[in-house]
Amino acid sequence: MTKFLPFINSDRTIVRWMTIVFSVVLGAAIWEAVGWSFNQSIMAPLFGNGDDHPGTLPKLYNYLFDDEEYVLSLIQSIQLFTTGFVLALLSAIPFGIVMARLAMLRVALESYILGLYVTPMIALIPFILSILGFDFWPKVLVVFLFAFFPILYNTLEGARSVKPELLEVARSFRSSEWGIWKDILIPYTLPYALTGIRQASGRALVGMVAAEFFLSTSGLGEELITASRNFDMAGVLATILVITGLGISFMRIAGAFEQRYAKWRGLDR
Amino acid sequence: MSEIASEGNETRIEISGVGKRYGNLQVFKDVNLTFNEREIVTIVGPSGCGKTTLLRCIDGLLPVSEGTIAIDGQTITEPREGVSMVFQHFGLFPWKTVRHNVGYGLKLAGAPKTEIDEKVPYYTKLVGLEGFEDSYPYQLSGGMQQRCGLARALAMEPSVLLMDEPFAAVDAQTREILQFELLNIWSMRPMTMIFVTHSIEEAVLMGDRVVVLRGRPSSVFEIIDVNLPAPRDRSTLSHPRFSELREHVWGTLMDEARAAEFELN
Repeated sequence: MTKFLPFINSDRTIVRWMTIVFSVVLGAAIWEAVGWSFNQSIMAPLFGNGDDHPGTLPKLYNYLFDDEEYVLSLIQSIQLFTTGFVLALLSAIPFGIVMARLAMLRVALESYILGLYVTPMIALIPFILSILGFDFWPKVLVVFLFAFFPILYNTLEGARSVKPELLEVARSFRSSEWGIWKDILIPYTLPYALTGIRQASGRALVGMVAAEFFLSTSGLGEELITASRNFDMAGVLATILVITGLGISFMRIAGAFEQRYAKWRGLDR
Repeated sequence: MSEIASEGNETRIEISGVGKRYGNLQVFKDVNLTFNEREIVTIVGPSGCGKTTLLRCIDGLLPVSEGTIAIDGQTITEPREGVSMVFQHFGLFPWKTVRHNVGYGLKLAGAPKTEIDEKVPYYTKLVGLEGFEDSYPYQLSGGMQQRCGLARALAMEPSVLLMDEPFAAVDAQTREILQFELLNIWSMRPMTMIFVTHSIEEAVLMGDRVVVLRGRPSSVFEIIDVNLPAPRDRSTLSHPRFSELREHVWGTLMDEARAAEFELN
């Protein structure tokens, strides 16, 4: 192979970076070409010319640095996301571990959990709307529901696979129940929970936008709807880029935690 | 070893009429044994004879089905202070460094920080893990991991040390090194040690007395006074009495193994 194809070592930093830059430039060029070849109410190019082809990137810049209202919407969305997500995290992890410790509880609730894990949460939105109305908290509930089950499911899987040998060691050294949690259940389950958290961060983002669409419109969801009603495609695409950026950031943060706390897992087994 | 053992022959642990059953499966029955202060008793038997189960009952990890086990006159119902166990599977916490694994029991027992800071380095050094305090278990070889497990048990300064096939999972050379190091550590601070193994050589080498379990359900078939000169070291392995005892136990257990094999066929 190497005789005919130049061997490019993709592990080298410079090669990697150049590949990434090339891929981004190519993607942008395709976007630009498509944007120019359509009516501006269907598709906006990245750069545009400001008149009949308004650019997505200038719009994005304008949103983030010149439009106070938009920044407030962004903050509102982040608040919604964070509140729902943190509540999901704080409840799903302890709940998952408790269920792993109490077999009866797990047996009783397992089918509900599996059912809700696979239910598209978006289907519950009308229900939430009719019961709870349009406030901030119903929206939080939507984000919460999107995030809760992936975290719970993964935490439960982790806590169930805790090695019985370690529990035996803890008993032999006369550990208290809290000691078992602190020394075994939590550290063992954490990497699994973090996998759930990473999955949940993507789902919660969907929940955030859905809640802002279907309950009282607010935040980035409202910006998206407004721009789309005005046929402002550059605005729609710019907001989508913002949401994508948020999603990538949340995933990265969760991924970093996963790396940090799963270190011991590396060669263990 | 024998002269130290003869100093203290006060009974520490008394096992009377003990049996263990899982549903219909009787693992062992009618086991009567005593263990004295400052003595190493090895328990040997074919795999599946319940020797490890018996050890777990002594530690209070498993309840007995019949009879009683008492340490210093107190019946065992749960793990008790002053008794530490070293596990075949090491049982180290993969997310804790050597330092924190060794200090695990002390911390649970609520030992003050000064005591932990003093004992952890001492026992880490005693088992030869100096310089590896900040390593994680996965960075250590099997032998080193078991050194860590041993240090964790010793740091509790137990008066009863339970060894559950501790060297079964390490390679042959390491096993031999660890056996002599353990004997050496024991002679510095002798306690009651119950050592379960499936290796006949190990049982004879380590024990002041060897308890042979056999039968189905198993029970104590024979208790042998080893009477090999102390200190035991590599030269013990070529001592005529060592070979004699090894062959004796070997014969006893081979009958059993052969019978079991025919029974299965």
